[in-house]
Amino acid sequence: MTLVLEAAALGILTGGVYALMASGLTLIFGVMRIINVGQGALVILGAYLSFAFFRSWHLDPLLTLVITMPLMFGLGVILQIVFIRPLKTDREALSVLVTYALALGIEGALGYVFTTNYVQLRAWYETASFAVFGFHITYVYVFGFLLCIAILGALFLVLYRTSFGGALRATMLNRTAAQLIGVDVDRVSAIAFGIGVATAAAGGVVFGITNAFNPGSHYDLISRLLTIIVLGGLGSLRGAIIAALIMLVTEDITAVVISPVWATFVFFVILVVVLIFRPQGLFGVRVRDRI
Amino acid sequence: MRGNFLPRVRWRVGRGPLKLVGLLGLAIAALLLPFVAPDPATTNIAVFTVMYIGLATAWNIMGGYTGYISLGHAAFFGFGAYGLGLMLVHLNITPGYAPFVLVPVAGLLSALLAVGIGWIALRTRAATFVIVTIAFMFMMQLLAENLVKVTGGGGGLGLPYSHDWGGDFFNTPYYYAMLLLAVLGLFVSWWIRRSKFGLGLLAIRDDEDKALAVGVPTRAFKLTAFVISAALVGMIGGVYAYYVTYIYPQFVFDPLIGISMVLMAFLGGLGTLSGPVIGAVLLEPAQLEFAYRLGASRLYLVFYSAVFLLVILLLPRGIVPSAAELLNRRRARTVVS
Amino acid sequence: MRQPLSVTCLGLGLLLAACGGSSTTPGSAAPITIGVSVSLSGDFSGDGKALEQGYDLWAQDINKNGGLLGHKVTMKYVDDASSTQQVVTNYQTLITQDKVALVFGPFSSLLTIPASTVTDRYGYAFPEPAGGGPKVFTRGLHSIFFVQPAAVEDNLVSYTKWLLSLPSGQKPKSAAYATQDDPFTQPQVDKAKALLEAGGVTTASYKVYPAETTDFTPLALQVVHANADVVVLGTQEPDAVAFVKAFQQQHYNPKSLIETTGPDQGKDFADKVGAGNTEGIMVPAGWTPDAKAYGNDKFVSEFVAKYGGAPGDISADAAEAYSVGQVVDQASKKANSIENKALITALHSGTYNTVQGPMSFDSSGKPQGGVGVYIEQWQGGAAKFVYPTSVAAAKPEYPKPNWP
Repeated sequence: MTLVLEAAALGILTGGVYALMASGLTLIFGVMRIINVGQGALVILGAYLSFAFFRSWHLDPLLTLVITMPLMFGLGVILQIVFIRPLKTDREALSVLVTYALALGIEGALGYVFTTNYVQLRAWYETASFAVFGFHITYVYVFGFLLCIAILGALFLVLYRTSFGGALRATMLNRTAAQLIGVDVDRVSAIAFGIGVATAAAGGVVFGITNAFNPGSHYDLISRLLTIIVLGGLGSLRGAIIAALIMLVTEDITAVVISPVWATFVFFVILVVVLIFRPQGLFGVRVRDRI
Repeated sequence: MRGNFLPRVRWRVGRGPLKLVGLLGLAIAALLLPFVAPDPATTNIAVFTVMYIGLATAWNIMGGYTGYISLGHAAFFGFGAYGLGLMLVHLNITPGYAPFVLVPVAGLLSALLAVGIGWIALRTRAATFVIVTIAFMFMMQLLAENLVKVTGGGGGLGLPYSHDWGGDFFNTPYYYAMLLLAVLGLFVSWWIRRSKFGLGLLAIRDDEDKALAVGVPTRAFKLTAFVISAALVGMIGGVYAYYVTYIYPQFVFDPLIGISMVLMAFLGGLGTLSGPVIGAVLLEPAQLEFAYRLGASRLYLVFYSAVFLLVILLLPRGIVPSAAELLNRRRARTVVS
Repeated sequence: MRQPLSVTCLGLGLLLAACGGSSTTPGSAAPITIGVSVSLSGDFSGDGKALEQGYDLWAQDINKNGGLLGHKVTMKYVDDASSTQQVVTNYQTLITQDKVALVFGPFSSLLTIPASTVTDRYGYAFPEPAGGGPKVFTRGLHSIFFVQPAAVEDNLVSYTKWLLSLPSGQKPKSAAYATQDDPFTQPQVDKAKALLEAGGVTTASYKVYPAETTDFTPLALQVVHANADVVVLGTQEPDAVAFVKAFQQQHYNPKSLIETTGPDQGKDFADKVGAGNTEGIMVPAGWTPDAKAYGNDKFVSEFVAKYGGAPGDISADAAEAYSVGQVVDQASKKANSIENKALITALHSGTYNTVQGPMSFDSSGKPQGGVGVYIEQWQGGAAKFVYPTSVAAAKPEYPKPNWP
């Protein structure tokens, strides 16, 4: 029983990291109606950027975010302008292909620069832990969880407390109508993509501290992120967070109660059952049709 | 959105005889290939290219005609592969030509699976559908990995293969099997496009709710297209498994196989008959060659991705529609002058 | 450059050549290319660098000695992009288009099997350093040769022997096992479990996990809760690191910890887990820089001269790849031919000396009569042979010291 409780606690803590990575993905979908298959590769890119600073300047991995997040934001804006904006027809489907091509490009470039050897970010808090009722909680998970809350909190503030957030939400609700009331949809989209990519950097750091990674790691990651945002409902930030927690808690509990090999499968079963009753996901809005 | 669909059909009919000659030429070339270029390195690439012609064509029946983008068709590919593999192992089939006879059974199995998956997945639309198909693909992969007693699990499954076929001949039977399936796929695709069923599918692509309103049984139509598409993919998966002789869950339930067929259909032109063929012929040999020639320099992926991006950004509607548009415009100009 | 060394190798080469009755003059025959497929991209990409380094170093050595039976050797590497299609394509293209004289095994152990059926079809010998799972040897092929001291499933056998040989007061009572669902790790762990159970060590926990797992903490938690004396893990490098970290996080100190892969990666492993945390961790290894095997000191010194670093940083993969070359070299001299058919016949008889020790092959390509796989243990920042005693450079530390 204690094992189950521990697994659940662990699931919540690691779920925060996945929430962070998935939030960017769902935000990008919400604003632009595109599935960014490259999000996984961008997370890995973020992890490698931190790794580069960590290796050459011996910076604390979490501190590197001060540099990598703005960098990744800029990269996101550029990617949106160069590769996503030109897509006029069939955006939804074409964007999958474009972002997939970007993922391959990023993987290839990372492999060229860093080789395909596994690397890992190191910090004092990766193994240091404190005890709560005999269960050792590692600092890195706590820091990751706090980082996730801070960034997601900031994201909510931007969305609901600023005029830019208003424009962004308007674009999410109805792109054409937003344009009509004078929202610069292109600008909003570019910035939203930038934010989505910047959260990938944040997710990447925590992922890189808790996991050894190589340029090919994005394949396993993106499939998990995609299923998270579908369960939560595409475009719903709240949904992504809750779905990430559901995923990790389910997996961790299944791993200890049944077997690790069935962990992901059980999550997929939950996803399918939810979709039978709510095809739009937990918090999704039912889309009448593609616009 | 795709209002120019009808005029394009008329244009096609007008070019009928020319097209027929071209098609005949292509068919003869395809049939003679193993004799003209018997080099195994070439026939091997031909096996995989024709395989992807079949896969992209089959995928197009669902994705191109209905607009439902499935990224998880590798689920049926892998199911067909394991279906055939397990039949060969458990029924003690003598390797040689006999296993090819069982390929339709592998297709049937995949079709049955598609009924189940389609029933659930087709409740969702657009982006959700895309991701749900990926999820199902991974579920199949996990099952293949976890049901160790049935599939052999992560250790993989070895298929018997003919030791009598030497290296110079080995690829030939597989090439013809793949070719037969690709032609079957093309024929089915062509037939659907001309049928009322096909019109219904195109109506779903343009506006599903309107299609439903005018009396198209959308659910039944979508599911039928999905199942036909899956059956073809499953058969191809079966031949593939028999060709490579050893399969692993992660290498046949491979998201990259699923995304490759989509990419080829897009590159050539979604919803067209020749588009997936052109896409596959351009992309698969290029990919195999790139990895072979540039692989050691570690730049293969960067290069592949650059070409890929360029094509999508320059020809967002695919090669066939873009070329047709260009031709139409030129013809229109000559008519005016 | 380093004249004395090359003189000794030349001497050795000539000696062997004389034994084989070879009469070719070095450097007189046509140059040849040897083809290899490596996984440099894709989902299963790993660092094939060590493998390439091992092959390259061997090619350099053999060319310095006048070539493989007089043929200058060039290595050709192609990327298999972690896909079956590509590996099948690569070996067919290497053999039939580029007409390489010989092929060596790929980096990816999984792709070794599909590759082996292709090379067999063309009558090529397929000496390979990576794929040693039980299923490799059940395909009915006579052209594959697994160049490691023992079939992979036997990797942990000497570890179990050591544990069971401990005095009764120290002998462990229980063991926890976790292994990747991988054809090259699970058979080792399963065999170790059977042997330990037969020797009276109870199984406190046994878990198999998928290769795609990214979060190992819940798994580690189960091992921790089993609270066994001994922990046996069927890992690749990333999970090997993750388990070590998770055990530290949970302050769990088993009396002995062995991981199938990871701790054998030298400095690379120490960098990831932290040098201070490596103390006492064990790994089965067929090779170590200070082993007194055939040509090993030369291999180590040349490797360090060519690629830099310290002997302790050399990955076992490089030594395994180098051994493939050594085996082929000796087989070609024995057969007095570099024809694949002659090489296959030669490889099925006799014993071959490698930096991993002597080995021979049965009809299915399984290594036979070799010295078997030893146990290495990290002590004072380096991995050392600790068992069997005949080769040990240090005494095993038991119980393993607590995490710092």
